[in-house]
Amino acid sequence: MIEQGSRHGSVSRRTLVRGLAATGALAGIGMPFVARAAEPIRIGFPTPVTGPFGAEAKDQIRSAELAVKQFNETGGLNGRMAELLVRDDKLNPGEAATRTLELIEKDKAHFIVGALSSAVQLSVNEITRSRKVLYVSISQSDTINEAKDFSRYTFHEALNPHMTTAAVAKHTFKKGTRVAYLAADYAYGHEMLRGFKRAAAAIGAETAGEILHPFGAPDYSTFMPRLRSMRPDILCICNFGRDQANSIKQANDFGLKKAARIVVPVLLHNQRLAGGADAFEGVVGASNYYWRLEETVPSAKAFNDAFRAAYANAIPTDYGAYGYTAVRSLLMAVKAAGDTDTDKVIAALEGLTYDVAKGPERYRACDHQAIQSVLITESRKKSEMQGEADLFRILDVEAGSEAALRTCDELGHRA
Amino acid sequence: MQTLDQTVVDAPPGAVKPQRAPRVTAGFSRWRAPLSILALLTLPFLLPSQALAVNVLIYGLYAVGYNLLYGYTGLLSFGHAAFFGTGAYVTGIAIGAYGLHPLLAMGLGTVAASALALTVGAVSIRSRGIYFAMVTLALAQLVYYAALQASSWTGGENGLRGFTVSRIGLGPVSLDILDPQVKYLFVLAFVGAALALISRILASPFGAAIEAIRENETRARACGFDVERSKLLAFVLSGLFCGLSGALSAIHLSIVPLDSLAYHTSGMAVVMTLVGGAGTFFGPFVGALVVLVLEDVFSLWTPHWQLALGTVFILFVLFLPRGLWGSALERLSFRRGQS
Repeated sequence: MIEQGSRHGSVSRRTLVRGLAATGALAGIGMPFVARAAEPIRIGFPTPVTGPFGAEAKDQIRSAELAVKQFNETGGLNGRMAELLVRDDKLNPGEAATRTLELIEKDKAHFIVGALSSAVQLSVNEITRSRKVLYVSISQSDTINEAKDFSRYTFHEALNPHMTTAAVAKHTFKKGTRVAYLAADYAYGHEMLRGFKRAAAAIGAETAGEILHPFGAPDYSTFMPRLRSMRPDILCICNFGRDQANSIKQANDFGLKKAARIVVPVLLHNQRLAGGADAFEGVVGASNYYWRLEETVPSAKAFNDAFRAAYANAIPTDYGAYGYTAVRSLLMAVKAAGDTDTDKVIAALEGLTYDVAKGPERYRACDHQAIQSVLITESRKKSEMQGEADLFRILDVEAGSEAALRTCDELGHRA
Repeated sequence: MQTLDQTVVDAPPGAVKPQRAPRVTAGFSRWRAPLSILALLTLPFLLPSQALAVNVLIYGLYAVGYNLLYGYTGLLSFGHAAFFGTGAYVTGIAIGAYGLHPLLAMGLGTVAASALALTVGAVSIRSRGIYFAMVTLALAQLVYYAALQASSWTGGENGLRGFTVSRIGLGPVSLDILDPQVKYLFVLAFVGAALALISRILASPFGAAIEAIRENETRARACGFDVERSKLLAFVLSGLFCGLSGALSAIHLSIVPLDSLAYHTSGMAVVMTLVGGAGTFFGPFVGALVVLVLEDVFSLWTPHWQLALGTVFILFVLFLPRGLWGSALERLSFRRGQS
């Protein structure tokens, strides 16, 4: 019995060794050959999977994967398939820089798309531009357009604070309107505040006062009476994420919504879900995408349908849509260039006009900023919502135009 | 007063009592710096990527510098990010704004970090234990907010950019720093030199003096050591090596994120030193390696990598209180002692 058992054991071990050797040989000989036949098009995708923007990052990954899937289903680039290499940047610029180096040096990524914070995107950009790798940023930023951070390898698919604030101000500010500002005291809040004040000056709206609050403040009760005493027609709240939900809730509690209209630079799907319908009711803001755009824009309908089919009837969100528009436009350019050569793809992207989810878009030549429409939306009253996902009402769609951007001169680009 | 003072000294709150290097491994200690460098030479072949290997070098040096103060002198600082960040920022600004030669800029960054360490040290070594940790933390936070406010210099929230070093000219040769292998060797050259220097410092009478202070401050004082000055010198040296690691990180990443000054960067030094083994020469490097590799690997597998990492840390604290390297050394000497 014992002998049999031991023999049985040794035989199986030998088989295992043989099997392993065979697998190793296959992997060593066969695989590189297969891989060489059609080297995949590798797109590195650093995004903050963990951290406060995890929900947005998840939406972006799903949308980006959809774009890759569609590209592959239509035959890829003459049989070359695309693949998405998702990396967690942990919302940390240092980590993002390391991950991007890894993607370029080890994974040999052809292109980099992604990032969801101003600092992270700028650090990724710093790595990619020095290594001459094309990067499509999908994080809201004014800085990346400016000549100092720009390079010919840098593309910015997202809206920028200048565009969104100008569109919101155009829709809500009038001559003589008194506007009070509550802004988060960091880069994002400052850029939004600057954009609004600039638009207000052009329209002729008055500044009733401004208050900066610390980033991540949980309590706004000390600011509210001060804001109220400014007697504004409009209260403009320039912050992001949980700050936005908290400050809007507390503005509600202090009855500020009855006295003034609340306006935010970006009104986002996930933040509205977190804040609740009652707190957000009547708040006006801008966004890059809202799924009900499908009623007027055919490409939005196509995008939504594909997304619903792929992800059990879910609908794409605004920040998620960036993942789709960025990757889709990049892959269209790859197809147009017929190659993954960086210079050829840059030329193709510069010449591309794409309509994949929200009407026609194109990259401006001087700063590679995507010229695109801005949606002005208003948060719906709970009783008026038609279904769970019906969060907003589209008030207006500001068509994309170069006039909405700062001029190339102002950004420091020389013609 | 005297008795009160003594009771505080005998049981410094929060301070660990790391072991002296066991006797059997003493033979190694002569060769510890060259052996460490040899071990580090193999890293790029063992780790998943060069970028990660360079990070291990940089954070390893950071933790070794920290260990000089924590593991050897017995002072638990919670503000070493200030020195790491200052080294990085000054290097970046010197290259970006003033066009200095990268080596000169790194030197400047290291000197600036040491100068800061002199100031912070002079203020903080008057206190002990948890108060010392709090003072260093508070001063480091001051530096953090100063960098946040001085955004025209530091880039504020967005971090410092625009100083990418692609080539470093050394007389007739020019190193291509964008090549990951060259960059690894470049960084290793500095880390190796720093390790040799630290090894020398620890072997000197001064090294014995700071260990005496760690073991029993009152007795060290009674033996005639100038305790205050030794502590301050240890603090400055620690700041110097942390500053150098910051300068190297600026060259490596070609950005300086504001996070490099944040308190969790200070916490990293503590965690790496504890995981590897406080008061051992090579332990902090092992700690940096384990922490960074686990982070890298786990975050590829699962979005819940923090949970996995936390569990591993708890296990370390429970079962390897002397850290990985410290426990390994102890076991080695125990076995030899028995046979």
